[in-house]
Amino acid sequence: MIPKIFGMIILSVIALMFLFPILWLADSAFRPQTDVLKVPPILIDKGLPAMGLFTLDSMKKALVDWNVFLSFINSVYITLAGIGLTIIICCMCAYAFSYLNFPLKRVVFVVILATMMLPMTTMIVPYFRVLGTLKLVGNPLGLIIPYAASAFGVFLLRQYFVKIPFSFIESARMEGAHDFRILFQIIMPLAKPAIAALSIVQFRQIWNDFLYPMLVLKNQALFTLPIKIQFMDSQNLNKPYDAILATGFIAAIIPIVFFLIFQRQFIEGMTGGVKH
Amino acid sequence: METNTGAILTKPALTKKKLEMVTALYMAGPYVLLMLVFTIAVFVMGAMMSLTDAARLDPGTFTGIQNYIDVISNPKYWTSVWTTLQYTVFAMLVQIPIAFVLAYILNNIKSRFRAVLRASFFIPVLINNVVIALLFRMLFSGDYGIINWAMGTMGLPNNTEWVKNPNLVIPMLVIVSSWQWMGFHAVYFLANLQTIDRSLFEAAKLDGASPLRVLFQIVFPMVRPAFTFVMITSAIGCLQLFDLVFLLFPDAGYVGGTARTIIAYIYDEAFSQQARFGYASAAGFVSFFMILIVSLFQLRFLGLGKAEE
Repeated sequence: MIPKIFGMIILSVIALMFLFPILWLADSAFRPQTDVLKVPPILIDKGLPAMGLFTLDSMKKALVDWNVFLSFINSVYITLAGIGLTIIICCMCAYAFSYLNFPLKRVVFVVILATMMLPMTTMIVPYFRVLGTLKLVGNPLGLIIPYAASAFGVFLLRQYFVKIPFSFIESARMEGAHDFRILFQIIMPLAKPAIAALSIVQFRQIWNDFLYPMLVLKNQALFTLPIKIQFMDSQNLNKPYDAILATGFIAAIIPIVFFLIFQRQFIEGMTGGVKH
Repeated sequence: METNTGAILTKPALTKKKLEMVTALYMAGPYVLLMLVFTIAVFVMGAMMSLTDAARLDPGTFTGIQNYIDVISNPKYWTSVWTTLQYTVFAMLVQIPIAFVLAYILNNIKSRFRAVLRASFFIPVLINNVVIALLFRMLFSGDYGIINWAMGTMGLPNNTEWVKNPNLVIPMLVIVSSWQWMGFHAVYFLANLQTIDRSLFEAAKLDGASPLRVLFQIVFPMVRPAFTFVMITSAIGCLQLFDLVFLLFPDAGYVGGTARTIIAYIYDEAFSQQARFGYASAAGFVSFFMILIVSLFQLRFLGLGKAEE
């Protein structure tokens, strides 16, 4: 019993360490800049009365003066479009590798899996050049289209698709259903858990992405939230810490809220569904 | 085999096979096309550029393997390799064992409290690197940071410049990346530990096996694939570290260069004023193969193939 309580205390302390920066952000995002940039922290300095000093000014400054609302819309648009395109393209591909026979099937599948292991960030320069050649620099499609090529997505969906009894597909074909119809009306509804897992992985990835949006989105009007924060944070004079923290709060709270609602799906999706 | 009775459908099987291939082509086609463009075409473009003195818009002229010679003989490049390796080794040594211990304790706590702990462990991995870097820069700030203030109240030195001191670059990166990833690894290990059949532990207990023996003879063999997976994915991730060093140490050029990782080096060469696309592509290729060799070596050494199949 004693070691169990001891373990519990250690875990709770560590859990608090994990949560502390987030709690600090949630607190600071609603305080005037002068109260954030000083020690001792206002909550300790003033005690409970400091709870009455919350303000929405920083949020207003971010959304109105710094046009963060536009960046929020950009983030939502790019994330949703990226997830949607990923699902369509990866489902179609997984369908081919699950139910159809064609030459080089195994080889191509192994190549797709192998691309997961490649350290592609080292290829950032030619990658940027290829995007430029395709006229995709400065265009949100330059992010959305590459996001959709998720090898993990094909792998995950195929694993799920092959478990669906082949007789479902056969009988649908017998009735003359087209492969697209079989995919969209029979397979995809059955594969909802796998599609949800893929959406979650892509959501986390796209919503938080930094390097690629920084290179592709040249125009301030296209900035996503992370790029906007970085832009605000790189002001040398009068850095608007209050607006930066408010924007950081918006960027961080969205995935946290989704996580709290869909905890099981998040954990199963991101740990790759360990429990087969 | 053929049970179709319709006049058109009774055509030879070859037509059906052809039809299936056409279907496969447009089903798998979009993905394969994207893969070709964003992987193969990128490699081809990179290989071509690395043999020229290309700059941002200028295609440059052919210079042979000069860029590769320049990369390999540039101490600044090797400094970045050294920084990256140091970070990778320390981050993995800190994160993975502690994550496993956390998961092990968590697995043995039977309580509703476990869900709360697990959620708190998981949350950092959902936050983007820009916000993480911002938070840690502020919390660890030399003058108004809470960390220095808290250390001061405990009688410890309270004037440490955490993000400006070259000697603290690796420790800072390990602290931040551990905060970000350790809980996630713990949750991953926990998911694997939970797949172990409880009756194995009961049986071991009945046989009078010590807790250490249970750990070494039951738990470790069962979670070996999970260790392999975490080690390989962590290594690939750590070796490509960029966001954190770019965002955590914004002034003073990566703290006098000590925080410049491989990707940061490539990024700087390509996207700073000189825009040495050719040279940066060569550095990219050299790094690509080095990282790939590390991953393949790990794969062979740890035997993921055996474990996964």
